[in-house]
Amino acid sequence: MATTYPKCNPTEMLGLLVLLNDHKGSEDVARLADDLDLEIDEIFPALEYAELLQFVRVTDGRATFTDLGRKLVAASIRERKSIVREQLRRTPLFRTILRALEANPEHRLTDEEFGHIIAFTTARTDGAEQNIVNWGRYADLFRYDADSHLICPARHPAYRKGAGGRSPPSSPGAESPGESRAPAPTPESSRGPGSAVAVV
Amino acid sequence: MAIIRVDHVDKSFPTRHGTISIMQDIAFEVKDADFLAIVGPSGCGKSTLLRLIQGLDRPTSGAIYFRDQKVEAVAQGMAMVFQNFALFPWLTVSENVAFGLEALGWESDRIASHVERYISVTGLDGFEEAYPREISGGMRQRVGLARALAVEPAVLLMDEPFSALDALTAEGLREEVLQLWRDPNLPPEAVILVTHNIEEAIQLADRVVVLSRRPGHVLAEVPVDLPRPRDRKSGPFYELTDRVYSLITEGGVPPPPPGSSSPSAS
Repeated sequence: MATTYPKCNPTEMLGLLVLLNDHKGSEDVARLADDLDLEIDEIFPALEYAELLQFVRVTDGRATFTDLGRKLVAASIRERKSIVREQLRRTPLFRTILRALEANPEHRLTDEEFGHIIAFTTARTDGAEQNIVNWGRYADLFRYDADSHLICPARHPAYRKGAGGRSPPSSPGAESPGESRAPAPTPESSRGPGSAVAVV
Repeated sequence: MAIIRVDHVDKSFPTRHGTISIMQDIAFEVKDADFLAIVGPSGCGKSTLLRLIQGLDRPTSGAIYFRDQKVEAVAQGMAMVFQNFALFPWLTVSENVAFGLEALGWESDRIASHVERYISVTGLDGFEEAYPREISGGMRQRVGLARALAVEPAVLLMDEPFSALDALTAEGLREEVLQLWRDPNLPPEAVILVTHNIEEAIQLADRVVVLSRRPGHVLAEVPVDLPRPRDRKSGPFYELTDRVYSLITEGGVPPPPPGSSSPSAS
């Protein structure tokens, strides 16, 4: 089973699931690729990610929705993010990142620390960081400040600065004004039935 | 009611070598809640037509009406999404989304709440502080979409919005645009999509306006009556694609199939 974090971003994975839905939820992988005039290996990364997050099962060259995958495609744009968040949180890489954020006294990670986590967990050193950051952002698992080069916990959705201003990075341990989000959930609390993800 | 009426529009440009006629006698309507696609070969003027509709440029003759008012300048109530996203690279996602509202002179509280809403509905939560360079093409186009929707346009104009995206990303975003359009609580009411991709037009639109090569004129308006989501590999879908493709390549009305008594053009 997939334990890699392929080079695929959230929009590509969603696109694959929309495509599978166009094919009534189950289709030969070759036919899926063919529908968009792609080679099979061009849809592999998205397929692997969809498997990793338990939205599809692939057997004998055929991709089929899981119940969760079906639910994802039927959901609104906003709801999809929540569903992805729950699945992403359970993967070894994102569990490790969230644990590291939690354990760090200032609740943040530098580019370097982040890079180390990725290298150790995925054995990839090919610039996967930006992609992983964007999955984290998409799923509201953590934030990234490109000016200060820091990974920080996700911000409460109700908190927004006025457009046009940028706030400085939070001082150690302090919550920004108006922020009321609880710290990132501990990995143990995210374990539920059926959450086992194949581990190396 | 026709929210947009294109009334016998001609457009030509003067050049050193004489006048070039880009389009001639373009006439069609867009009704409330329509999803209209405009297709045609390169150079047929479809992007120019979109600019005329928005009021960025004026027809040489004829007129365009938005809610029965002649379009004489950039119309409030319409917003455009571009092929290459047109984001400001030095602004964050939030700042880019806010940009159109700031141009309208709104106060900052109102801007902030609109930005938050449209970042949320387009799935951009979490990316507020990101710069365009950090995010994928698909995310950048979501920003373009959020920026356009934030001004709450009645008509969303889209100029080849998916052409610069890879096939999977485009597939995902098309579905999202449909979701947003169909939501009665969200803008827009109508969408006008310009695309060179015939399958995309038929996948998304209620009706496809087919333009000829330059000087572009309307060859046909092809209704698409298939329920969504549409199966690209189905017989009816294929027939429609084939029909539009024939119209464009032959530049005119294809001859009716043998034995049929009705003309093929709508």
